[in-house]
Amino acid sequence: MREEELIYKGIHGIPVILEPGNAARVDRSSWRLVRPVYNKDKCIMCKICYTYCPDSAITWTKEGPVINLTSCKGCMICVEECPTDAMSEEKEAS
Amino acid sequence: MQPIKSIKDIPELDLFTGGSSVCAGCGPSMGLKLALKVLGPKTVIINSAGCMTLLPLFPNTPLKVSWIHNAIENAATTAAGARHGLDALGFKDMNVVVYAGDGATYDIGFASLSSTAIKNERVIYICYNNQSYGNTGFQCTTATPYGSETKTTPRGKENPIGNTNIHKDMLKLMGVHRVYCATASLAYPVDFLNKLNKAKERNGFSYIELLGTCATGWNFDPRYTIKISRLAVRCGMWPLYEIDDRKLSLNKEFKQLKPVDEYLQLQGRYKQLPPDGVTKLQSLVNEHWAQLNEFNAKRYV
Repeated sequence: MREEELIYKGIHGIPVILEPGNAARVDRSSWRLVRPVYNKDKCIMCKICYTYCPDSAITWTKEGPVINLTSCKGCMICVEECPTDAMSEEKEAS
Repeated sequence: MQPIKSIKDIPELDLFTGGSSVCAGCGPSMGLKLALKVLGPKTVIINSAGCMTLLPLFPNTPLKVSWIHNAIENAATTAAGARHGLDALGFKDMNVVVYAGDGATYDIGFASLSSTAIKNERVIYICYNNQSYGNTGFQCTTATPYGSETKTTPRGKENPIGNTNIHKDMLKLMGVHRVYCATASLAYPVDFLNKLNKAKERNGFSYIELLGTCATGWNFDPRYTIKISRLAVRCGMWPLYEIDDRKLSLNKEFKQLKPVDEYLQLQGRYKQLPPDGVTKLQSLVNEHWAQLNEFNAKRYV
């Protein structure tokens, strides 16, 4: 059985989700009007943006936050809460 | 377990991915994301119908842990059943967590919540309180504060106040069951996660109530989600305290509370509240705050 068929027909007729966390691949970029832009020079590595992102669009690496623009819905909590203005907002091109 | 000291100490455990279909700047989904950092992968989440049911929308799920979705009345009893089942199978180290809204907790599911609490089952109950039935379009619950406009309590000529009911004091009600109960706010994640750690290590029922700021229903710009959560604590609308074995302890103490007006002005649901309504709300807040201060470190219920 092909993988797409397995999801809907499932095991004994019960649909299954094969990969946990597969919503990360869903594109939500059309939801936002503004996008966050990261400026590394001003960042103090406080992890506030990473903690407060409701959609886990910001992942934390050793070099600092990385914004995943597929998941970002443009709520701008990171821009509002950043203590040093390392996050700024930019209008999406329509 | 060591208590978490600062935001930098919060474990980097990502069990909640993006791409879910909840609104931008959703408070409750942020709460679940933070909670999973402490609860870890060995967790079963029981959800009653509500906003957070939108998270695993077939065929996509943002969660990397187990999830049971059930009817709005019986989230707590389902959790008790899951606990007994897991214990019988030998999975004693798994956490059973209920993540339910305030409609399911305060109104519809209160009977099952009360029965599970009185039996002291090893379950963590997190109520994300957005002070309304958010998923069906912002109707009034018994958690809706005085003066808030909802779909079922609109402002008009005869009733300019909106909701004239004074909300239920749920922490006191749960304290009567002699379980651990606490309030939490998204603006103080360290406090929230420490309370969750405490609840995780207890061998009994614990109830944590999180203020789930709702940008769509409360009618504000989603960028102010954290600001409003913080102001709710600073203005005394959402005091942070815990009741352990009927004893109360305040977690955030302030010498002077900010005026409630500062919190109300940011939200569209309070936009046309007349001045006498604001005065009444302020007096209710002051009364509650004075009561909490009086019983601090004493027997409360």
